[in-house]
Amino acid sequence: MKNLFIIILSCLVFATNTQAQTDRSKAPEPGPAPTIQMGSYQTFTTKNGIKVIVVENRKVPVVSFQISLDKDPVLEGDKTGYIELAGDLMRSGTLSRSKAQIDEEIDFIGASLSTFSSGVFGSALKKHQNKLLEIMTDVLMNPTFPEEELEKSRTQQISSLANVPSNANAIASNVSQKLRYGDGHPYSEITTEETLKNIQREDLVNYYNTYFKPNIAYLIIVGDINTREAKKLVKRYFGKWQKGEVPRHIYPKPEQPESNRVALAERKGAVQSVVTVTYPVDLQPGAPDAIKASVMNSILGGGIFSGRLIQNLREDKGWTYGAGSNLSTDRLVGSWRARTEVRNSVTDSTVTEILKEMQMLRESPVNTEDLELTKSFMNGSFARSLESPRVIASYAYNVERYKLPKDYYTTYLEKLSAVSVQDVQEMANKYLKPENAYIVVAGNKDEVMPTLAKFSKTGDVELYDAFGRVIEQSDLPTGLTVTDVLEKYFKALGGKDKASGVEDVKIDLTASIQGQNLRITLMNKAPNMSYNEVSMNGNPVMVQYFDGEKGGISQMGSKMPVSDEMAKDMAFQAAVFPELAFSDYGIDPKLTGVEQIGSKKAYAIEYQLPSGSKSIAYYDVESGLKLRSVTFVNTPQGPVEQSMDFENYKEVDGIKFPYTIVQPMGPMKLQAEVQNISINSGLDKASFSMP
Amino acid sequence: MKKSVIVLLILLYLPFTGSAQQKIEFEEFTLKNGLHVVLHQDNSLPLIAINIMYHVGSKNENPQRTGFAHFFEHLMFEGTKHIPRGEFDKYVERAGGTLNAGTSFDYTTYYLLLPSNQLELGLWLESERLLHPVIDSTGIATQKSVVIEEKKQTIDNRPYGRILYETLKRAYTQHPYRWVIIGDENHIREAEDREFEEFHKMFYVPQNAVLVIAGDIQKTDARNLVEKYFADIPAGAKEIYRPEASEPAKTSEVRDIVYDNVQLPAIIQAYHIPSQGDDDYYAVEMLGNLLSQGQSSRMYKSMVDEQQLAISVSAIPLGLEHPGLFINLAIPNMGIEPEALEEALDKEIEKVRKELISENELQKIKNQFENRIVNRNTTIASRALSLANYHTFFRDANLINTEIEKYMAVTREDIQRVAQKYFNKENRVVLYYMPESENN
Repeated sequence: MKNLFIIILSCLVFATNTQAQTDRSKAPEPGPAPTIQMGSYQTFTTKNGIKVIVVENRKVPVVSFQISLDKDPVLEGDKTGYIELAGDLMRSGTLSRSKAQIDEEIDFIGASLSTFSSGVFGSALKKHQNKLLEIMTDVLMNPTFPEEELEKSRTQQISSLANVPSNANAIASNVSQKLRYGDGHPYSEITTEETLKNIQREDLVNYYNTYFKPNIAYLIIVGDINTREAKKLVKRYFGKWQKGEVPRHIYPKPEQPESNRVALAERKGAVQSVVTVTYPVDLQPGAPDAIKASVMNSILGGGIFSGRLIQNLREDKGWTYGAGSNLSTDRLVGSWRARTEVRNSVTDSTVTEILKEMQMLRESPVNTEDLELTKSFMNGSFARSLESPRVIASYAYNVERYKLPKDYYTTYLEKLSAVSVQDVQEMANKYLKPENAYIVVAGNKDEVMPTLAKFSKTGDVELYDAFGRVIEQSDLPTGLTVTDVLEKYFKALGGKDKASGVEDVKIDLTASIQGQNLRITLMNKAPNMSYNEVSMNGNPVMVQYFDGEKGGISQMGSKMPVSDEMAKDMAFQAAVFPELAFSDYGIDPKLTGVEQIGSKKAYAIEYQLPSGSKSIAYYDVESGLKLRSVTFVNTPQGPVEQSMDFENYKEVDGIKFPYTIVQPMGPMKLQAEVQNISINSGLDKASFSMP
Repeated sequence: MKKSVIVLLILLYLPFTGSAQQKIEFEEFTLKNGLHVVLHQDNSLPLIAINIMYHVGSKNENPQRTGFAHFFEHLMFEGTKHIPRGEFDKYVERAGGTLNAGTSFDYTTYYLLLPSNQLELGLWLESERLLHPVIDSTGIATQKSVVIEEKKQTIDNRPYGRILYETLKRAYTQHPYRWVIIGDENHIREAEDREFEEFHKMFYVPQNAVLVIAGDIQKTDARNLVEKYFADIPAGAKEIYRPEASEPAKTSEVRDIVYDNVQLPAIIQAYHIPSQGDDDYYAVEMLGNLLSQGQSSRMYKSMVDEQQLAISVSAIPLGLEHPGLFINLAIPNMGIEPEALEEALDKEIEKVRKELISENELQKIKNQFENRIVNRNTTIASRALSLANYHTFFRDANLINTEIEKYMAVTREDIQRVAQKYFNKENRVVLYYMPESENN
């Protein structure tokens, strides 16, 4: 019967349609605009100071609990990453549960539980809510931070960091973060392998003990639950959480750069550049400018397909798949950034277009139609966001946390609709800074670097590594190779033939340190014998030798063990000119850049010694001579740098030797002067052993 | 007295049996031209979602025009007979809505999210691009560049971006699943303007689509409006190209090494599995949870936590209309050889093949699925997509309510049986995805 009715009805409808031809030529008019009602929330505060927000929503039988700590950011310094680790590891063991038990119990009820440096989040079906709360409050109040879990996470994080240099987005975001906030600000800190290695369990425990306190906590409860039930649950599960004094921290406000600075970070083999234009802004959540400024940013590129950046870079030029800009408010310091990924060849043109769009919005008023479109879009986005009870909860959280007027969100649409053409231009002038920006590009250095200098006032393109660390500029001529540098070096010495013709050499030097006179003797004999002796006031204080097969060291008369690794290096270093022995030892030297050595520029050639230790030698760009050699000796305390400078080259039998050798020793310098050099004097093999 | 209240409360919170899922009501009908329509009314907020799903994906492409379905999706935003280029999105955004689309191996779907007073606008827009899209050569040229940049962004310039590409081309020799959705950029460059018209004529026809409207509607009004804008769109006259499901069964393991700009290797194992909706498929999907869903899952617990061989491991079925793949993907921890990782993956597979999983594990997986399904359909947009999907591939939109039973019916024996049936060496591709630096 019902079916029949529907059939008749549909025939009728069909009939009407065929009679009146649908007019497709114009867009249909909308019906009356619906009123948008924001879901409500309730708040209460517990005895131990937790501020609780409850958003009831019974659409699905799911409930979620979020603890959020309202604390100042903490500076981590050379232990950056420990706060995140502290958060992660909260769910890796409690007084009564191992990590495996926590995982098993959470997975068994199909729930999710995550812990962060600033809180804990758990969500489950209603019927499992008590089990969830039991585990969640256990990790919140009784975490043990097991040492082995720390080691596990550290290793995993270090492994994951290995992929950062391949990920242009991660690189761009690291460099932007570093530049935008500057050193010494907690927002600029980036976790690296080195900082991870500095972290100790104690750091995690201290962080937890200091900051995980109910009196700075919000508890946001969302879903299939009412306030009455929430109160009971909170008392039962969170009642025992102990209050405590929590320190506050204040930081200087990061400033925008005085003129545009250009930063480039290399992503090897990149076929696209990640282009970011960014700077810090002073914009508090809920500030009078916040809504007006966000309309302005939307017109430019905030999540809207009609945004100017995407229309320009994608729909007009076809340079990218996506482009947009983001203006974020923050209590400490907000930020603005525009971002896109474009093919290498249009990297600089993209920067030009972004700056142009920023400038245009500052100079010319927007047309009313664009403004109205953007406001409608934002109105719609706000209405759609209310579908999620968690978003309603986040609005409530903002009101409480940032002390916004209670009606901030309920009157949001009114404030939005009041934004005028003048407001947009005013905001553009205040928050768009096309001349005070960091222009950050992560991409193919060789292809894009030369095109970017024009955006920086000084003409400098600053180089950064994948973790936002400055790379000392090297201006290596293109095409220059290790062989070129070494050939120039030998030519400067007097010729490779001459150098290869040196069968043995003996060098006597003198030096003084702290009023004591030192005599130094250095002997080498081809192919791989060496003998070095330092004596003080006539007594040998240090002897090191390698007789072609084995080596020995003695200091102050006592013999030191020579490991197999050390012996391998000694053999290589015993060559009269180690540069001539690279291939014999399978060493693959790399030309890594140009660096400043004192007042001179030098090519850096880096290689691995047979033991795996790193060594770098520097050759004067102008004269070709070797200026410095640095070896990073591996010790149980980490690599120790040993460096030697070569100066004052003089010719001996047609080959130049440095007559001054300087070795830094802690804060002092040991300067040794050559007294005599003899070449091919037929040194006896027997001299290359312990006297 | 107080105590007894607490006891009562505890009783109330005790787990009850039966599904926590709430029924999603809908109504459906088919227009004379073959367009199927599903209406789901939910008046709790003044919002609507309009989803139109076309039963065409990358598998319907000509092997010389891979990536065409996705490229075509881009062009559907270009304009229509009555909507000039660049205006389509503006109509939606001006109305306070948003829009997007997605292309898969098997389908292409378009959605509009609008305030409920703009239902008619949404139907006009969708009907316009079904009836008479206008795609000019400027639009084609621009979108060719955009799509090529999209490929660079999502595949070429991403670490591990080529994993699926390399896996599929080895797993399939005949079936069009052998190429990725984004396709070959040369094919996109070579495509000629007339090919778009042909593609539209064949696939963008009412009988190849399902239209779902979800949210704040009155069903009768919605139905009238659907009739108004869609009833007079002519049905397609061509036979729709649908490739055969067959891919010859593998007789021996395929094993290869590929190099990419990554620092850590990845190990990929891809096993051929039955198509989505097959009884065995549900067991395979649950097997995926057993192996890698949550930190207590077998692979995560053993390989990441206990032995610390991997920094990440996942075992994910790629459920498709035709038989798809089950992909194990692991990334080793520092200093761990890929071979050791592969051995560990094999060990876990072998264990499921040899021993029945425990009752406890089965219950855990069922609980995970229940949670997933309840959380899946919380927005009108996600419900619209699910309804469209279930109708397109199973002609049964009500699976949105009943599919959970298929998961709950899976037994421990089923899981062991599918492990034995599909997780064999000869039925798989193994790929070592290595850092470029190790390519000597």
